[in-house]
Amino acid sequence: MKKKNFWRTATPYLFILPWVIGFLVFTLGPLLLSLIMSFFDWPLIGEKTFVGLGNYIQMFTEDDQVWKSLVISLKYAAIFVPLNLILALFLAMLITQPVKGVKVYRTIFYIPAVISGVAISIIWSWILNSDYGVLNYLLSLIGIEGPKWLVDPAWALFAVILASAFGVGTMMLIFYTDMKNIDTEIYEAASLDGAGPARRFFSITLPMITPTLLFNLITSIISSFQQVTLVMLLTGGGPLQSTYFYGLMTYNNAFEHHRMGYASANAWVMFVIILLLSGLVFKSSSAWVFYESEVKADNKNKKSKKHTKKLEGGK
Amino acid sequence: MKRKVAVMCVLALSATMALSAYGCGGSDSGKTQIRFATWDVAENVDFQQELVDKFNEEHDDIEVTLEAYGDEFDTKISSGMGSGDAPDVMYMWNYPSYYEGLEPLDDYIAEEGDEYKADFYETLWDYNSMDGATYGIPIGFTTHCLFYNRDIFDEAGVEYPTEDWTWEDLQAAAQEINEATGTAGFAFMMEPDPYDFEMYLWSNGTAYCDEEGTLDGSLNSDESKEVFQMFQDMEEDGYAVATEGDGTDEFRAGNAAMYIYGSWSIDTLNEDGMNYGVTTIPAFSDAGQDSVSILSSSGLSMAADCENKEAAWEFIKYWTSTECNIERIGTELPVLNSVVDSEGIMEQEEYAPFYTMLEQSAGHTPASFIIEDWSQVSENLSLSFEQIFNPSSLMDVDEVLDGAAQ
Amino acid sequence: MKMSKKSKVIIYVLLTIVAIYFLAPFVYMLFTTFKTEAEAIAYPPSLLPEEWQWGNYLDAWTSQPFGTYFLNSVLVTVGTTAGTVLSSSLVAFGFARFNFRGKNILFIILLATMMIPWDVTMIPQYMEFNLFGWINTLLPLIVPTWFGSAYHIFLMRQFLMGIPKDYEEAARLDGANTFQIYWKIFMPILKPCLIMVGILNLLTVWNDYLGPLIFLQDRSKYTLALGLASFKGVHTTQIIPMLCITVIMIIPPIIIFVIAQKYIVEGRSGSVK
Repeated sequence: MKKKNFWRTATPYLFILPWVIGFLVFTLGPLLLSLIMSFFDWPLIGEKTFVGLGNYIQMFTEDDQVWKSLVISLKYAAIFVPLNLILALFLAMLITQPVKGVKVYRTIFYIPAVISGVAISIIWSWILNSDYGVLNYLLSLIGIEGPKWLVDPAWALFAVILASAFGVGTMMLIFYTDMKNIDTEIYEAASLDGAGPARRFFSITLPMITPTLLFNLITSIISSFQQVTLVMLLTGGGPLQSTYFYGLMTYNNAFEHHRMGYASANAWVMFVIILLLSGLVFKSSSAWVFYESEVKADNKNKKSKKHTKKLEGGK
Repeated sequence: MKRKVAVMCVLALSATMALSAYGCGGSDSGKTQIRFATWDVAENVDFQQELVDKFNEEHDDIEVTLEAYGDEFDTKISSGMGSGDAPDVMYMWNYPSYYEGLEPLDDYIAEEGDEYKADFYETLWDYNSMDGATYGIPIGFTTHCLFYNRDIFDEAGVEYPTEDWTWEDLQAAAQEINEATGTAGFAFMMEPDPYDFEMYLWSNGTAYCDEEGTLDGSLNSDESKEVFQMFQDMEEDGYAVATEGDGTDEFRAGNAAMYIYGSWSIDTLNEDGMNYGVTTIPAFSDAGQDSVSILSSSGLSMAADCENKEAAWEFIKYWTSTECNIERIGTELPVLNSVVDSEGIMEQEEYAPFYTMLEQSAGHTPASFIIEDWSQVSENLSLSFEQIFNPSSLMDVDEVLDGAAQ
Repeated sequence: MKMSKKSKVIIYVLLTIVAIYFLAPFVYMLFTTFKTEAEAIAYPPSLLPEEWQWGNYLDAWTSQPFGTYFLNSVLVTVGTTAGTVLSSSLVAFGFARFNFRGKNILFIILLATMMIPWDVTMIPQYMEFNLFGWINTLLPLIVPTWFGSAYHIFLMRQFLMGIPKDYEEAARLDGANTFQIYWKIFMPILKPCLIMVGILNLLTVWNDYLGPLIFLQDRSKYTLALGLASFKGVHTTQIIPMLCITVIMIIPPIIIFVIAQKYIVEGRSGSVK
């Protein structure tokens, strides 16, 4: 009896054990060391000196770039995250439509996500070159003088967003897989009830995929703050530092200026910001994310009732 | 389903095991292992591999392995040094950033005798030293020169540039070409690397900073402002273009008749079969001196925590020898006087100007060797320069430089 | 569901517009791989090469030991995919289907590990793998994935949370134990998701060059992505070979995607019945 109880308590821990081991062995050490580094003046080579909160104080009192980069990253996140989510949702909807040849389109939409980041940024820098680029050449053919994409600070952030939206395929795939998971019978029942496509989307599809919507929201917040590779190769932070993202600043502090301690402080401040934002999202998620596993027998709403009924019928 | 997964797991596991065996093999040959890191790419790496193989054949007791990191060289070296596991021997140019992790080589050089050191071009030693100690043996270098497109000059009916040109000559030619052909007469970088750009200040008798590393009074001196103003004027007048990249693409594509760059592009231009010429950089007419170029030098360094220093030095000696200097012609400009003489480099018109510039450029110390936190200063300067040259800002030179000097 | 002709047309128009946006840069890149370098940077740009340089691909492939790189990439991809899918699904199941003490704090830690950028943990990580003697082997790229990846765990957890409680209740009544429920009930339901995670992992690993850059040293260990990145030099980039290898590198993941699509489409209802 006691043994059985032990196993019952232990089971969940056994399931998450692989991650716990991996975390302790591979992740925790480096994380802690980087936290320790953030309290040191830690050059690449030579003497490391303890500075207490010095790096953090410097970040907020002396280094203007921290604020500027933070604003740029926030701005980017504010545009990129919703745009990418909407685009991914829209594409996922498109490729779930039961029309001929949709398979081919599905693959086409996915191709950009497969192309390596290094090549992508080179191609985009060709396309977007303001004097000799393809895009402005094409625009000139129809009599439009294209903007100086990567030269004009007013356009550069937009250019980065344009290029990064190219990789939306991953998120699209996640939504798509989730949508494919929705029982088609629910849609049919709704259609019989006279629900049009818009209605079906907002009252069935959207609620059903809220768990993955939450996932995509959180991970794209994280990735927009950590955006480094694309900007480094496409704009290098320019023009006039208009795309000098926080992530790029951190990278440069670490590998250009060799101030590992300071870069670690940058990273941990970024960590706190992302954590706070994610915390807010999670807090709000109880209001809009709908997990079927959490549906209680007594407060089922209409949709889930229908769904459960269908599933029971299907068994 | 279950079976399939089980089979997959077994396969994956065995693959992992095979890998670990694969990863560990081959290091117990009893030879001294030397890791050698280069920043070269593609075919050049194959070529270097051949030279390394040759060294390994000649030495029973040393085995050198080549590591090639291309553009990511710095990231790799940084992380290697930061974790105490840098390559034993590595290419190096940015001594101010890395010298603390490098072995001073003066004792090794002294042992080779005076003649050894004297065969290298004198100026190159300055660029491979830091605080009076030598940290690298020169392998290659480039100065900067003026490249011009002969076809465009012919089309516009303009005389080719010569060594006697001043900037006024260049401006006149560029303007004439622009009017006659519609292409830009001259191209320069919108966001120049501050390290490179200092050569124009030197040519006009000033520098970024004084000997103590103070910017104020040098960077914002009249001579310095004159330089920046001149480039900005050329751009504003429309016959010169400020490029997003280094200008090579614009020059190759025939979109610019002249640009100033290192010898890096010679190979590509030759491959394209382009009809181009090279000459020295124009002088400032009021400066009363020849133009000066920055040196981009590459040296070979030894890591301070290298465990087999004798073997590493043996390899460095080989890599910087007469033999290897000759082998590298075509990928690097030779750094030995004797090789330049014996191989008749000065007779080759695309290479000779780079040596002329080298001779004209002795006696200048780049600000990166003087200013302690250069990488930070460089980042600020870079922004200032862009503010002056970016067509969407074109800020006032006085204002920007006075601000930057503070 | 039947669709009216009008809505079909609208869908095709939309599909085509989006396809052009996604395909145009790729097609431009594809044609560029058949040009000479001089032609590639010429202005005004042209789409089709003047003379098709078929040899570009062979030149690119032979300019570095790409055969070896390819083998290494396949090893890493195969070595990580099964491991990360399996372990992540176990952990995700633990987080999604149980209530236990410390669950929330552990889950927050899991998410938090995604939020620290790699640039500052890289050097400590290098030191650690150096201690293990794993530097210059493929192990640092493979072994950690066998302990689950936070991204995949979070993703699968979201899918698992979307499955009603009735499933395990019914199975429990039939006398199944927890592991059987995980393996026999949830794994089949989760199949599309597992395949998707496999695809996502393949992509990440296949194109990752920072990991290989830091942990590998001599060229016999390099992966394709690292070989590709090393066409980019400090002063010159070998653009044509780079694009050729990029095109070649796209092929395996696309083939796998096309095959895997079928299983994703099957969906939940398909596999339960």
